[in-house]
Amino acid sequence: MRPSLSFCKNLLAERWRHGMLRIFRKREKRSGGGLAAAKGRFVLSVTIPLLLYESLGIFVLAWAFILMFYNYSSGRLGGPILGLGGSNPFVGIQNFIQMIKGTSVQANLFRTSLKNTLIFAFAVLPLNLVITLPLAYLLESIGERFKVLYRTIYFMPVLTSSVGVALIWMSMYDPQGGWINAIIRFFGGQPVAWLSDPRAGFLGISVAMWAVILAYLWQDYGYNMVIFIAALQAIPQGLKDAALIDGATPWKVFTKITIQLIRPTLLFVCVMTMLSSFQVFDIIQVMTNGDPGNRTQVLMLDIYKNAFRYQRLGWAAAESFVLFLIVMVVTLIQMRLLRTEWEY
Amino acid sequence: MTSRAITETSTVQVPLPARRPLRRAKIWRSLPLYLLLTLGLSFTLLPFLMMILSSFKTNVEVLQVPPTFLPDNPTLENYRKIFNDPSLPLLRFYGNSAFVAFFNVGTTLFTSALIGYLFAKFQFKGKRILFGWFLTTMMIPTQITMIPSYLILTRLKLINSLWGLVIFSAVDAFGIFMLRQFCESLPGELLDAARIDGASEWQIFLRIVLPQLSAPLATLGILGFMGNWNAYLWPMIVLQKIEVRTLPIILTWFNSTHTGQGGLVMAATVLIMLPILLVLVYFQRWIVKGFTMTGFK
Repeated sequence: MRPSLSFCKNLLAERWRHGMLRIFRKREKRSGGGLAAAKGRFVLSVTIPLLLYESLGIFVLAWAFILMFYNYSSGRLGGPILGLGGSNPFVGIQNFIQMIKGTSVQANLFRTSLKNTLIFAFAVLPLNLVITLPLAYLLESIGERFKVLYRTIYFMPVLTSSVGVALIWMSMYDPQGGWINAIIRFFGGQPVAWLSDPRAGFLGISVAMWAVILAYLWQDYGYNMVIFIAALQAIPQGLKDAALIDGATPWKVFTKITIQLIRPTLLFVCVMTMLSSFQVFDIIQVMTNGDPGNRTQVLMLDIYKNAFRYQRLGWAAAESFVLFLIVMVVTLIQMRLLRTEWEY
Repeated sequence: MTSRAITETSTVQVPLPARRPLRRAKIWRSLPLYLLLTLGLSFTLLPFLMMILSSFKTNVEVLQVPPTFLPDNPTLENYRKIFNDPSLPLLRFYGNSAFVAFFNVGTTLFTSALIGYLFAKFQFKGKRILFGWFLTTMMIPTQITMIPSYLILTRLKLINSLWGLVIFSAVDAFGIFMLRQFCESLPGELLDAARIDGASEWQIFLRIVLPQLSAPLATLGILGFMGNWNAYLWPMIVLQKIEVRTLPIILTWFNSTHTGQGGLVMAATVLIMLPILLVLVYFQRWIVKGFTMTGFK
C-alpha cells in the first residue's frame, strides 16, 4: 500500500502533521514538556469519568441521609423533588425518637431486632474463637500434607453460598427427619422443633436463635481459621522450641508466646467477626425469616422488611443509620486498639 | 514449615539418649490431636454428605423417624423432576448468575487497576481528597446505600433487569486500595523507559502495568467472583421477576414453593450449589491468599 500512495497526498499529510505538532508543542511548553502533557491528559481521561461516577455515589449517600428524616413510602407519590414532602412529610428526628421510646409495633420490633442482633453477635464471637483458635493451633502442629487436606475441608463452608448453607441446616433441624433431633433421640432426649418453637430456650436464648447461630458458625469458622493459620505460621518456631527446652509446658507456650504474638490478628479477627455478625442477613432470612415470634428478627432483616415489604423507607433508612453507627463505633475502636498494639 | 524440618533433622544428628522415647511419646501425644481434628472435620463434612444423600432419597424417606443414613432405595427421581420442570430452566439461571458475576468482576478489575495505577503513579490536584473519599466509601456498608440505590433503579426502570445489578458495582473501593499498593512497587524506570520509547499512557497501562498486576488481579478476581455468585440480598431486591433471577434467589424460591419435599429441595441445592463449590475449592489457595492478604470477605 505505502509506496503506491500519491506523493502529493503524503506531502499534505506531512504538512498537516507538522502543523498539528507545532500547535501541540506550543501547548506543551506551557504545561512543561510533552510527557507531562500526555500524563495530564491520561489523568483527566480517568478522573473525569471517575468523578462523574463518584458523584452518583455522593448522590446516593445524600439521599440515604435525607430519607431518614422523612416519613417516606415508595407507595406514595409525594412532593416534586425525589418524592420528598407532600404525602411523604418531613418528620425531623421523629424516627429516632420513636426508636428510643416509641410504643408502636414497629418501634418495639426495632428494639427487639437490636437486642437480637446484639445477642447474635455476642454469642457468635466467643463461640467462633473457642472453635477456630484451638483448631488453627492444632492444625499448625501437624504434617504438611494433612494440613492442606484438613484446611481445604474446613474451608469448604466458607465457599458455599449462604442460601445453600441455610437450606442444608434447615433439613438438619427438621423436627421429624432431621439429624439433630435424631442425635437427641439417640441419647434419650426430647426432640425439639428448632426453627418454630418460640418458647423453648437455652441460657435465656431461644432455640431458634441457637439454631441460626450454629449454622452461621458452621459457615464462618473456616474463614477465621485460615486467618489464624497465616498468623501462626509467621511465628518463628525457634521461639517455641526455646521455651519448650527451658521447660515450659505446651499450654504455657500457647498462652505466653503464641497468644501474645498473634494479638493484633486476634483483635482484627474479633472485630471482623463482630462486624459481619452485626450485619447477618442471608442465613436468618432463609431459615426463619425472623420467626418464631420475632425471636430471630435481626436488624438487617428488620430493615429489609420495612423497606421492601412494608414500604416504610424513611424508617428503614433511619434504622440502617443506627446499624451504621454501631458498625462505625466498632471499627473505630478496632483501629484505636490496633494502633496501640502495633506501637510496642 | 521448613524451619521445623531443619531443626528436627539437626536434632536427630545430635546423639542424645532421651531422643527416642520422646519421639514415641510425641506420636502418642499427637493421636488425640488427630482425633480432635477429625471430629471437627466430620462436623464440617456431615452436612454436605447429608445434603447429597438426601437428594437421592424419596420425599417420604427424608421425613422418616429415625432418619436413614444411606438412602433405602437410591433414586434419581428428584433430579429427573428438576430437569423436566419447565418452571425451573436451570441453564437460564446459571446464565443470569454467570452474566452478573463475569460482568461485575471484569469491570471492577479493570477500574480497580486503572484507578489504583493512577493513585500510585500520578500526581494531580485533589488526589488526596479523592483517595480519602474512596476510603470513606469503603467503610459505608451496603445497608445504607441499598435503599436509595433501589429508588434510583426504580426511576431508571432497571428493576428486574440484570443491568440494574451491575451499574452500582462498576467501581470497587477496596480493589482500588489493594491495587494501588501493588502499583506503588512498580519501578518508575520501567514506565519512563516505555514513555521514552514512544508508548502512549494508555499503552503503558494496558501493555506494561496490567501484566505486572496479574497475580493480585487473579486474587481479586476470584474473590469478586465468589462474592458476586453467592450474593443474595441486593439481587433479591432488584430481581423480582422469576426469569431474571440469579441462582441463590432461585434456590430460596424453589424451597418456598416445594415445602415438605425435602429430597427434591436437596437435589436442587446440589445442582445449584455444588458445581460452583467445586470450582471454588479448586481455587481455594488463591482465595485463602486473598483473605489473609486483605482480611476482607
